[in-house]
Amino acid sequence: MLRPGTPRLLLLLPTATYRTAAFVEAARRVGVDLTVASERPSTFQDANPGGLLTLDLSDPDRAAAEALAFAQEHPLQGVVGVDDDTAVVAAAIAGTLGLRGNGVAAARVARDKHEQRTLLAAAGVPVPRFTRYGVDDDPRRLAAGVSYPCVLKPLRLAASRGVIRADTPEAFVAAFERVKRILEDAGYGMRDARCVGAEASRIPDLASRSLLVEDFIPGREYALEGLLVAGELHTLALFDKPDPLDGPYFEETIYVTPSRLPADGRRAVAVCAARAVAALGLREGPVHAELRVNANGPWLIELAARPIGGRCSAALRFEIGETGKGKRETLSLEEVVIRHALGMDLPALEREQRASGVMMIPVPGAGVLREVRGVDAARRGPLVEEVVITAHPGQELVPWPEGARYPGFIFARGGTPDAVEAALRAAHARLHFVLTS
Amino acid sequence: MSLAEIRITAEPIDTGRCKFMVSEPVHAGGVRRFASPGEANGSPLAEAIFAIPDADVAEVIVSGNLVTVVKRGPAPWQTVGKAVGQAIRAALAGAGPAVAPKPTASATPGADDDALYERVADLFESQVNPMVARHGGRVELIDVQDAVVMVRLAGGCQGCGMADVTLRQGIEAMLQQHVPDVKGVVDITDHAAGSNPYFAAAKK
Repeated sequence: MLRPGTPRLLLLLPTATYRTAAFVEAARRVGVDLTVASERPSTFQDANPGGLLTLDLSDPDRAAAEALAFAQEHPLQGVVGVDDDTAVVAAAIAGTLGLRGNGVAAARVARDKHEQRTLLAAAGVPVPRFTRYGVDDDPRRLAAGVSYPCVLKPLRLAASRGVIRADTPEAFVAAFERVKRILEDAGYGMRDARCVGAEASRIPDLASRSLLVEDFIPGREYALEGLLVAGELHTLALFDKPDPLDGPYFEETIYVTPSRLPADGRRAVAVCAARAVAALGLREGPVHAELRVNANGPWLIELAARPIGGRCSAALRFEIGETGKGKRETLSLEEVVIRHALGMDLPALEREQRASGVMMIPVPGAGVLREVRGVDAARRGPLVEEVVITAHPGQELVPWPEGARYPGFIFARGGTPDAVEAALRAAHARLHFVLTS
Repeated sequence: MSLAEIRITAEPIDTGRCKFMVSEPVHAGGVRRFASPGEANGSPLAEAIFAIPDADVAEVIVSGNLVTVVKRGPAPWQTVGKAVGQAIRAALAGAGPAVAPKPTASATPGADDDALYERVADLFESQVNPMVARHGGRVELIDVQDAVVMVRLAGGCQGCGMADVTLRQGIEAMLQQHVPDVKGVVDITDHAAGSNPYFAAAKK
């Protein structure tokens, strides 16, 4: 039973998110009165009208009005979105209810790759040269005016879905047509990466009928996980992405922290990310930034006003001190995000001492998953903490660039980033996915 | 059956919870839940698991071939799991049962679990299951021990991306409202085996 005066948190959870268990568990640990809002009604909504809410997550203004009406009866002290779309909805709700959060304009810009690039370039943040084209443009005509190698990407789809590198005009034309088909498959772009079912959320027409073409930036890629507090960016973790992301598709695999980038390189990445969030006008909450580093320094590739996606947040723990038993007590990333949204005290935001990593298990091929062999052997590997198979038997696995779902995740912790990376690779090598066509 | 022939499969749910599927029955007398080392007295398997160093085990639940362990300590499942496996093998090799029978209701302090079971079962049948059935789901009441309800989710709920919302904001909230003597709900579902989840997740 919660005590009187317990703050109520509105948690915006799309029904297709991986983040449900982590955020619901974090809310319990923080001890908040929780309301979960999704775009589709829970079958328990009538039974628990204060704990469950249906919001139109495709329309932030409408969702904010609905949340305002809800808050008349169930006052809210904080709101948290968990992905690109709900970050905008959370901003709209925060603005309407006077809660801690980003401005709607900043959250919208962060969600749209073209608008984001435009603002960042204007602010002098290093970003690839870019141009937006309509999907109805003639790629054969465009191909002659593009510099190579280039990268084509939809404006809104997540998880590198539809992102393709092209090195020649012929490859550009093929990639253009392929991205167009991916948008069509997603409901002609009228629905986002959660493109399953007729009720998947809608995205605006211009973004869905456009794609971005930008220079390919060579270099190693890094991911910065941060928290904005009153406009100041605190780096929570910097991940190495040790597998080269040179295309032609950009399915992610391994994240390892702490980064092995030298100290001056880490500082340069943090400065670049801080300049980027300032340029977009983001001021509060989680930030996930992806940057490439080469001889010219860091380049901002993606920035999102949300925490790291998938189940990858389990790779992060933050120490908050000794327990009575002489053991270190830790917070999850989700607990940090919730505490910040509610204005609660935050710990020092120091990541645990040990190196940590996660592998988003690559899609092994196209087909229907029948079984996964070797999971026990993978779990028994040194430093491996967890192997989670999120794909279910009978699920169709779709490789990138059309796909956007990893079949599972591997987690490891150890003394050094090198050891963790090796453990992740060794565990993955023990897995065997049985597919049928 | 030799100890070497006993196969144990660990399925971590998260850093705090892990399920161990055992090829041999561990406890055939329903579900037993142990929430402290004191409660484990007389059950060699639970005693051994609570004694694992650095795990700070908070809870052990044994049902048929399934052993669920909840820990507070930071030690990874990679090491704790090996110790749990050794404890399971040792307990199965012992002369007596690995887990003592569930105490009779009269010997159990606090709420009457049998009476709670009936009330919870009624609630599940009359309200909870008709609700989850709209998404092709089903909630099975496995047991009530020390006023903690153990459930298994099936059908569209098994492996569903929103299963935790159903559990905490739906089932647990209804129990708090209709059966306030219930102290908590434990999900012992093997979600990884769910073949038809109502909502499937995609990275965002």
